[in-house]
Amino acid sequence: MTTPLTLSTSRREDGSPVLTVTGEIDMNNADTFTEALTSASEEPLVLDLTGVDYLDSAGLTVLFVNAERIRLLVATPLLGPVLKISGLTELVTTDGIS
Amino acid sequence: MRDEKPGDLVFPGGSEMARRMRAHPWSDSAMGSPQDWPASLGTAVRICLTSRFPMIVWWGPRLRFLYNDAYLPLLGTNHPALGKPGEEVWAEIWHIIGPMLESVMTSGEATWSEDLMLPMSRHGYWEETYWTYSYSPLQDDEGTVRGVFTAVSDTTERVVGERRLGVLQDLGAQAGRARSVAEACRLVADVLGAEDVPFIAIYLRKPGTDELALAALGPRETDPLTVAHGPHGWPVDEVLRTGEPITVTDVADRFPPLPSGGWQTTPTSAVVLPLSGETGGQTIGVVVLAVSVRRALDEAYRSFLTLVARQTADLVNAAIAYEAQQRRAEELAELDRAKTLFFSNVSHEFRTPLTLIMGPLQELRGVLADADERVREELDVMYRNGLRLGKLVNTLLDFSRIEAGRMRARYEPVDLSAVTAELASVFRSAVEKAGLAFEVDCPPLGEPVHIDRGMWEKVILNLLSNAVKFTFDGSVRVSVARDGEHAVVTVADTGIGVAENELPRLFERFHRIHSARSRSNEGSGIGLALVRELVGLHGGTITASSTAGEGTSFAIRLPLGVEHLPAEDVVPAGAQDAVFASADPYVQEALRWLPDGERDDSDDLAGSVVVGGAVPASALGPSKPARVLVADDNADMLQYLTRLLRSGGYQVTAVVDGQEALEQVRANAPDLVVSDVMMPRLDGLSLVTALRAESRTAGVPVLLLSARAGQEASIEGLAAGADDYLVKPFAAADLLARVRANVELSRLRNHHAQWRTALVDSLQEAFFVCDEEGAVIEINTAFTDILGFGPEDLPYRPVHPWWPDQETDPEAYRLTSAAFSQIATEAKGSYIAPVEHRDGHRLWAAASFSWVEDPDSGRRVVVGTFRDVTAEHYAVQRETALAALSLRVSEAESLTDALRSTLALLRELWRADRVLAVTLGDSEQPEVLSTGPEDRWERLPRPLRDAIGALRDEPLLTVAVREAGSAGITLEHPRGLLAVWIDLGENRPFSAEDQTLLALLAGRLGQGLHRAHQIDQQRETALALQRAILGPSHLPDGFAVRYEPATRPLGVGGDWYDTVELPDGRIGIVVGDCVGRGLKAATVMGQLRSACRALLLQDTGPANTLVALDRFAARLSGAICTTVFCGVLDPETGHLVYASAGHPPGIVTRADGTTLLLQEGRSLPLAVQPSAERGQAEYALPPRATLLLYTDGLIERRRRSLTVGMDQAAAVVQEGRAIPVDELATHIMTRLAPAAGFDDDVALLLYRNPAPLQVTFPAESGGLAPVRATLRRWLERAGLGTRQVQDVLVAAGEACANAIEHGYRQATGTVVLRAAATADDLRVTVTDTGAWKLPDPAANPHRGRGITLMRALMDQVTVESNTVGTTVDMHARIPA
Repeated sequence: MTTPLTLSTSRREDGSPVLTVTGEIDMNNADTFTEALTSASEEPLVLDLTGVDYLDSAGLTVLFVNAERIRLLVATPLLGPVLKISGLTELVTTDGIS
Repeated sequence: MRDEKPGDLVFPGGSEMARRMRAHPWSDSAMGSPQDWPASLGTAVRICLTSRFPMIVWWGPRLRFLYNDAYLPLLGTNHPALGKPGEEVWAEIWHIIGPMLESVMTSGEATWSEDLMLPMSRHGYWEETYWTYSYSPLQDDEGTVRGVFTAVSDTTERVVGERRLGVLQDLGAQAGRARSVAEACRLVADVLGAEDVPFIAIYLRKPGTDELALAALGPRETDPLTVAHGPHGWPVDEVLRTGEPITVTDVADRFPPLPSGGWQTTPTSAVVLPLSGETGGQTIGVVVLAVSVRRALDEAYRSFLTLVARQTADLVNAAIAYEAQQRRAEELAELDRAKTLFFSNVSHEFRTPLTLIMGPLQELRGVLADADERVREELDVMYRNGLRLGKLVNTLLDFSRIEAGRMRARYEPVDLSAVTAELASVFRSAVEKAGLAFEVDCPPLGEPVHIDRGMWEKVILNLLSNAVKFTFDGSVRVSVARDGEHAVVTVADTGIGVAENELPRLFERFHRIHSARSRSNEGSGIGLALVRELVGLHGGTITASSTAGEGTSFAIRLPLGVEHLPAEDVVPAGAQDAVFASADPYVQEALRWLPDGERDDSDDLAGSVVVGGAVPASALGPSKPARVLVADDNADMLQYLTRLLRSGGYQVTAVVDGQEALEQVRANAPDLVVSDVMMPRLDGLSLVTALRAESRTAGVPVLLLSARAGQEASIEGLAAGADDYLVKPFAAADLLARVRANVELSRLRNHHAQWRTALVDSLQEAFFVCDEEGAVIEINTAFTDILGFGPEDLPYRPVHPWWPDQETDPEAYRLTSAAFSQIATEAKGSYIAPVEHRDGHRLWAAASFSWVEDPDSGRRVVVGTFRDVTAEHYAVQRETALAALSLRVSEAESLTDALRSTLALLRELWRADRVLAVTLGDSEQPEVLSTGPEDRWERLPRPLRDAIGALRDEPLLTVAVREAGSAGITLEHPRGLLAVWIDLGENRPFSAEDQTLLALLAGRLGQGLHRAHQIDQQRETALALQRAILGPSHLPDGFAVRYEPATRPLGVGGDWYDTVELPDGRIGIVVGDCVGRGLKAATVMGQLRSACRALLLQDTGPANTLVALDRFAARLSGAICTTVFCGVLDPETGHLVYASAGHPPGIVTRADGTTLLLQEGRSLPLAVQPSAERGQAEYALPPRATLLLYTDGLIERRRRSLTVGMDQAAAVVQEGRAIPVDELATHIMTRLAPAAGFDDDVALLLYRNPAPLQVTFPAESGGLAPVRATLRRWLERAGLGTRQVQDVLVAAGEACANAIEHGYRQATGTVVLRAAATADDLRVTVTDTGAWKLPDPAANPHRGRGITLMRALMDQVTVESNTVGTTVDMHARIPA
């Protein structure tokens, strides 16, 4: 069994690339997530995690390694503690977590 | 499981029966293809196949048989039977179950049968089997009943096991009842002789032989032919010889039919077992136990029979021990009583009248000296026999003094040869008159020997008197010689001798040797016994050798020197009180044995010859010579005066100064004192003044001698109080005349006073006179006898030297001091007080006193008497102590408890420093119990260990006193030998009374311990039984249960708890309480419990379960008024449906500490109104709430409302809502138990919602998401907020990820996640079986992120890694 994860890329009206993730991210699918994040676009993108209800250190590591690819990270307050405790919020611009 | 494919629906799973059903050619059978089966049949078959309980589906008009794997063992060789008509499958019991099935089919109502006994042949013999069946109707889709669904359990093991346990318990309950061996056997036989032991015969070994005798038979009315033994009967002799059990299998051929114990056929085999003795002892007998054919003689049956034999042996052994201990204790007490009584009688009753006979008699003899010859002869007969009686009484009194440790010896160095020769010379005339040669061979030893003259005199006189008595020809010989460091004194005769077999008993008290011939048949048989005691006091030995017809020789060996004697009793030469010849009675007696029976007065005088320089005793009559004390410092003068006065017929004592004279007079007043005026130390005038100052000596006349002439000197002497005055030089005739005149005058004057003194001295009660200051100024002989303080040290001023010491014994000092102040304040009275003998031993005296006026001086004095009541005092103390001991032992809860309180009692009794009880079992390490801090054998000082160890070699119940200040005794203990050790601390002596008391107490303790041990065992049996019935310890998660029997009386009761896991995952909960106690209540409880289980499985809800249970209870004797709480809980939701039949309400404690009682759904207790409806109620347990169910024993206390108890229970749950339920259960039982333990039994059940979670998953990343989903649902049920759920999920997820990543990089394994909640705490643990690698941030900066997250999200995280695996343990506080 694998951890449920759906990835889709799109563009905003302003043309900036968006990677929308729903499901959960853990060590089981961190590679898939990396793959999606690195191949979605050449330029920094908006990462939409509002549909993610679980993210652990495996997911965080992907975010840290690819921080420069993320222009804006959007998520719900549910992920707030994890993102803040890890220090990612100081590296990446976030929206919606507090 | 809930969404299986339709194809597997009817026959799911991989069980054997599922496979068989799938392979069964249904279409060809009467039941048709499963596709066409009604849905209800399909469901029933599916439940059947997936259940772990044995289940049957009976279908169709012929009740065709479908069953599951669990049913296979019950079916035995009838398998396979799939699809067969029920009648064919269970032909042998169809007459019983057929009608039941039919009734379900026709009525459509469920029924069931509990522990149904079915004789069944499933293993090749007809055996007794028990089954609990529930029969529920199965309807087809139209609602017509077409089949029956049966859940079955084979309860044979349980029913038979309970029955056997019951038998063993009944046997155990006989413990302590039997007062004799025969009664013990009778009790055993009466308990047995039923189902599992249809016949019993007990044979016991006749003591001291290898023969057996029948002791009991059960049942009593059994044919006597069945007890034959020998070659064609029971092989009991062989079992006794070998000690090995024998199984007899041809019982039917050897004996008439044995009782069957209610089964249809009689026993064919029996087991013959040895009855073993107490640990390691000889086999005491053999028991024959018939084997019921209802059960195979398997391992369980054999071990049951072995247990029966062991219990029987225990009971018989206990009875043997009881008889033995009882006998010993009675013997000891009897002996002691007889002795005390005898000696006190003798002393009180004999001596006083004897004195009052002998005094006047002697006076009469003087007065009637010239009377008719016949009168004189008769007076002589009376006189001689009076002397004999006096001698006998004195000897007995000597014994009583020795026994009481009151014999006061004063060892003085003497020339043993001279003293012995002198004593022998007293007997010369008697020996020669008997026609015997008298050889006295006493050469000087060259060294003095220390003896007490008075005692020695008795030794020699007794031996000589004995020799004369038994010798008719030849000689009597006395010799003294030295043998190394000993003096050897031999008294030998050529008499009739003593037979060899009588020699060992020669010195035994009251043992008289039967001799062919002697000079007299008189004799008490105590002379030689006294001799041995007296020699023993001297540290010497006496032996006898004898040849019948040739003679007897006694040899006394006395050690030289003083090392063997108590230092305080050794006195310098000549310091000993004058010893008065006690020879007269011996010689008089011996002379009476001689043929002519004659003696004249000159012989009489010769008989009262002075021994060792002492003077003859003064007596009451005028026929006795007067005693004169002469004091002069001039040796020539002294010698002259002595010679002169002796020639005048006086008995003279000579002293060299006034002081010595004063002491002599105080000790034994003479008829006259003749004293020089000028003397060293104390002169004559001062002597007169001192004598006049004391009432006891004031009447002694004094004649002063002085060289100073003249009126002045004479006036001075007379003014001082002298009776007469003589100036030196004086004529001999003048002196004699004045002496005679003074003696006669004083005799006239003092006649009254002398009578008074004689009477006072003859009193067996101690007599004393006290002056106004409390000083004792006069005492009598008995006073000295009792207290050891003599007249020579008078007066005794307070504090008197016999008062107990204030330092070492303040309590006794207080008593005596209080009694003494009573004398000062009251005119007359009496009291009992402790006093101390001069040698230090404790006495109790009963005194009475009164104030009188001394007619001479006009002063007020106290006259008092007292009696030694030590024996009575100790007898009372003994009875009190025995009663106290019995009470304490009977109140004890256990063996150790009994022992501990006994030790405390012994400590109080003896005011001991400490008392120890040491169990000297077989092990190296004796168990120690102490009133002090010592609790381990190895912590005791080495000398103490040796002393206690040495007690092993002492006989049982015999006090061993090795040194002053301690005593030890051994008695039987159920686990070996028990040594009791008393440490008095100081060097207080452990007296004879103390020893008797300790022996009696130990005897009683032995019996008490035996009984306490049996109570221990019964209690264990009772608990084992109850716990066996309460059954397997498997409990669903989240529950905790406890059962505690009542403390007193013994515990089994009717309380129970139960949990039943229903097929759909819900859990049935029952807590119930049957009325009554004991095995019967336990049995009723067992049946109700099983019934309730079966009913809950039918899933009709708590109210209906109770209604059905009502019907069952109504038919079950003893079940009426049982209260039950019955509930069904859905652990997924915390939803509880419950009903209560008169049971105390459950208590719910929510996470915030508020409590609630589950008081709805209430109705009457069981069977009170069997047809009544019952209601039920519902309640949703909030997250982290705790449910407490209990029986009334937990909360009910005398004189207290139940509400108070419930409040208290709620409060305890409330304060413990933050600890895990299992700990909480222990906490509740401890906190609510009364100090003396529960007085009713208690069952308790706890549940906390939700039950702890446990998930095991493979260590693969794919498993993480489902585990998180499961944990999320559980956390929501535990009532956590959304944010905290997320935090815990991440932290737990990290721990799981780490376990997968770190723990199992090489191999795959499993990871276990556990979660549990209390009211305010959540605990999550993740365990794997690999080793964690600590993160190395330098190697990989991301590695540490997981553990950082865990620590940030949880309140406490610990990681423990060892060789077997790693556990992450995390806690989070749950906000209220």
